[in-house]
Amino acid sequence: MSPRSGKMINAGVVVNILGTLTFINGMMMLLALPFAIIYGDKDIWAILGSASITMAAGAIMYFTTKSNTNAEIKKREGFLIVTLGWLTMSLFGTLPYMLSGAIPNFADALFETVSGFTTTGASILDNIEAQPHSILFWRSTTQWIGGMGIIVLTIAILPLLGIGGMELFVAESPGPTKDKIHPRIKETAKRLWAIYMALTLIETVMLMLCGMSFFDAINHSFATISTGGFSTKQASVAFYDSVWIEMVIILFMFLSGTNFTVLYFLLKGRKEKIENNDEFRWYVGWILILGALIVPAIVVSSGEPIGMALRQGFFQVVSIVTTTGFATADYQLWGSFATMLFFLMMFSGASAGSTSGGFKIVRIVLLIKNGLAEFKRRLHPRAVIPIMMNRSSVPSTIIDNLLAFTILYVVVFVVSILVMTALNMDFMTAMGAVATSLNNVGPGVGAVGPANSFSQIHDGAKVFLAFLMLLGRLELFTVLILFTPYLWKRY
Amino acid sequence: MKIIIAGAGEVGYHLASMLADEEQDIYLVDRNEDRLSYIQSKIDVFTIRGDAKSISVLNEAKIKDCDLLIAVTSNEETNFLICVLGKKLGAKRTIARFTNSEIIDFGKKQIFEEIGIDEVISPVELASKEIIRLIRQSAFTDDFEFEGGRLSVFGIALDENSLIVNKTIKESAYLNPNLTFKPIALLRGDQTIIPKGDTVLQTRDIVYFIATKESINQVLNICGKQCFPIRNIMILGGSKIGVLTAKLLQQNFNVVLIERDKQRSIALAEQLKKTLVVNADGRDVTSLEEEGIENMDAFIAATADSEMNIMSCLVAKSYGVKKTIAGVENINYINLSHNIGIDTLINKKIIAASNIFRYIRKGQVSAIANLHGVDAEIIEFVVAPGSRVTQKSIRDLDFPKEAHIAAVVRGMETFIPLGEFEIVNGDKVIVFSLTQAIHKIEKYFQ
Repeated sequence: MSPRSGKMINAGVVVNILGTLTFINGMMMLLALPFAIIYGDKDIWAILGSASITMAAGAIMYFTTKSNTNAEIKKREGFLIVTLGWLTMSLFGTLPYMLSGAIPNFADALFETVSGFTTTGASILDNIEAQPHSILFWRSTTQWIGGMGIIVLTIAILPLLGIGGMELFVAESPGPTKDKIHPRIKETAKRLWAIYMALTLIETVMLMLCGMSFFDAINHSFATISTGGFSTKQASVAFYDSVWIEMVIILFMFLSGTNFTVLYFLLKGRKEKIENNDEFRWYVGWILILGALIVPAIVVSSGEPIGMALRQGFFQVVSIVTTTGFATADYQLWGSFATMLFFLMMFSGASAGSTSGGFKIVRIVLLIKNGLAEFKRRLHPRAVIPIMMNRSSVPSTIIDNLLAFTILYVVVFVVSILVMTALNMDFMTAMGAVATSLNNVGPGVGAVGPANSFSQIHDGAKVFLAFLMLLGRLELFTVLILFTPYLWKRY
Repeated sequence: MKIIIAGAGEVGYHLASMLADEEQDIYLVDRNEDRLSYIQSKIDVFTIRGDAKSISVLNEAKIKDCDLLIAVTSNEETNFLICVLGKKLGAKRTIARFTNSEIIDFGKKQIFEEIGIDEVISPVELASKEIIRLIRQSAFTDDFEFEGGRLSVFGIALDENSLIVNKTIKESAYLNPNLTFKPIALLRGDQTIIPKGDTVLQTRDIVYFIATKESINQVLNICGKQCFPIRNIMILGGSKIGVLTAKLLQQNFNVVLIERDKQRSIALAEQLKKTLVVNADGRDVTSLEEEGIENMDAFIAATADSEMNIMSCLVAKSYGVKKTIAGVENINYINLSHNIGIDTLINKKIIAASNIFRYIRKGQVSAIANLHGVDAEIIEFVVAPGSRVTQKSIRDLDFPKEAHIAAVVRGMETFIPLGEFEIVNGDKVIVFSLTQAIHKIEKYFQ
């Protein structure tokens, strides 16, 4: 309230919360321990070591700044906590890979961890089956944590972050508008996590019924619900060659790409809320249209029978639209029209408020509606033309924000391609790598398509792509604001 | 508890933020989208855009599960209608804000209850009563009585004459050998501090003491203050608050009311028989002088203009008026008051919000009071059998550090307890607590 009250940024509270997040991160590593024991991997000590280092670091950060535990989190601290939080998580997340020797190179380990936490699913591993089970499980766990978001998890389980929680929630969760499903942020976060856990459990059981082992089922389930796309097999889902497994995964990828608020109202039986949801209808329509375009392209280019084309086409469409990135086929073999469609799909993403990445369908819909309204405005300069979404008008501040977001998105995309080509990457591959990282999809086009890994690219490019993944996951502003003078200067 | 607040003005916002700190489920309804998105970014509540008079909007807020409906829009007819509808649709309790200056007595209250409005809160009436309470205790910035006057909590602004300035609480303890009083909080700038042994008291701090009736004078002595009798009061502004205050004060004091508008002054003069109504502009210092501002014991500025109220209080201070009270509309000004030398700034919206807050707690606690400019409450609990406070001595209780036990009343005796004190069943305990810790404290007494 008073202009004299304290410094501009309360570093204590930032470090304090980072400490808590790091500690939780360490505890999550322990989840991999049972698998190390059961499968008799030699990585028990690597897992235990990583977990204890991480938890100790978290505890030190927490206790040295304990006086700030209940301090108010303002906007500036909020942005710092979220961005630095994800960065800290990623740095500590490399420990299991490095200590076990699974991925000895730091740039590789960082790429793999960030790709996990941001639910991108791009990998530098060329022989996944050779990795120990515990490391693969940690790899899937990073996606599972990242899908709903570490902050949302923290809000749900810990009594802290009560007052400033909304700032953090807004900075972490995707989409142009944030809906609460309960008056209190903590209860909202709890309900979101409950849905998330339930989906994970149900999918695990269903995959096991389709014949997967428990280990594979839970890993694929983690990767599906978070729309991450890490598989425990080098050939991804194609390895199983099972219609049933693919159907289950398509269903859960679709659900995970749906706004969780919609899922919540569906469970609550509040049909009117779903009928009023424009984005959900566009989401379904978008998948059907893309499927209808892709299937003939497959039939024409590869001569597959129509049944096979339907199966592979829809799996790939849902996989890429929801930014999961599981593969049952290489879409680059379906001709350049199909490749181009998949490239475009990477940008759309699925619904806001889901675990998917990308630009989000709601933003595209709003851009289209605003574009059409602009024609009307030309003819009726004084007309008041509301942009309607979910049966209510969208405030013009959201449209302004959306336009700024779109421009920033394009600029980031173009500049990143420049950086990639400067690091000696060919144009096609650079476009694919940037698009897939920025949108948290997984497979790209060119030399980083569904059939290849990212292992061959330059180390600098790996680190840069990891940064892009973080940008995409936190939707540009949250991260980029740290590079502006506005955050650091008082005015 | 599920609470719907209709109207996101100052009262609604202030109330919502007090309740949100307590982890209540709050739905805030207002028509102004910008206001709602601002509030949404500040506090943890669910906002609904719409007109709270409409049944569909009330249904969207799930009125049938609502424990408490609070209508605090700026329009009293709207507030009444919202409460009547809300009650019919299933709200368990309803509170409406009333903007008239009419005093609501028992008979009127019953009529309201019959149509579905359980409580009517009138900010004007509450503010006037607050002013009168402050006038009665001339040396204090704030004062509350508990247990029929046996214990008082009051605030004193420290100046150079105080014996305890620049001393720590521990050092000043020798002034208080019998433990008949103790400082429970201090307000420095806009910060509320719960004093510990090593806290150093400074000039301009406002220290809140709890003291037994007999020791009030002792506290005044060590703070270098005296109670002075008040006879002459000047009220600036014939606003609703000004008029009601004059009406309540004119029986016992010499009251001069200054009103700028000629027609209004004539109407007020007819209404306020024992008050001298003067038609003058408060900004005109010579006319205040003509009416003898230097002979006034208290000056109350109650015009609609906050800045004018503050300035005229400063003028009054410069003429040697000992007690000055200014009404302000802007909530952010509240904390300025003591830094600029005005005794008390009051805001009728905060007063209304804290009264509603207290009403919500009624039944759970036996008394509750709210201090000006401090985000804290003083609550009196009756200790329930087997509650957590009876199990250990105060030091070992692990009581939240945002709060502390100020006094204990046992039968006819009152104690200002130290660490080794043990609380037993049936004691009445007076607790000072920052607002956000109240729900934690309650658990200790259940």
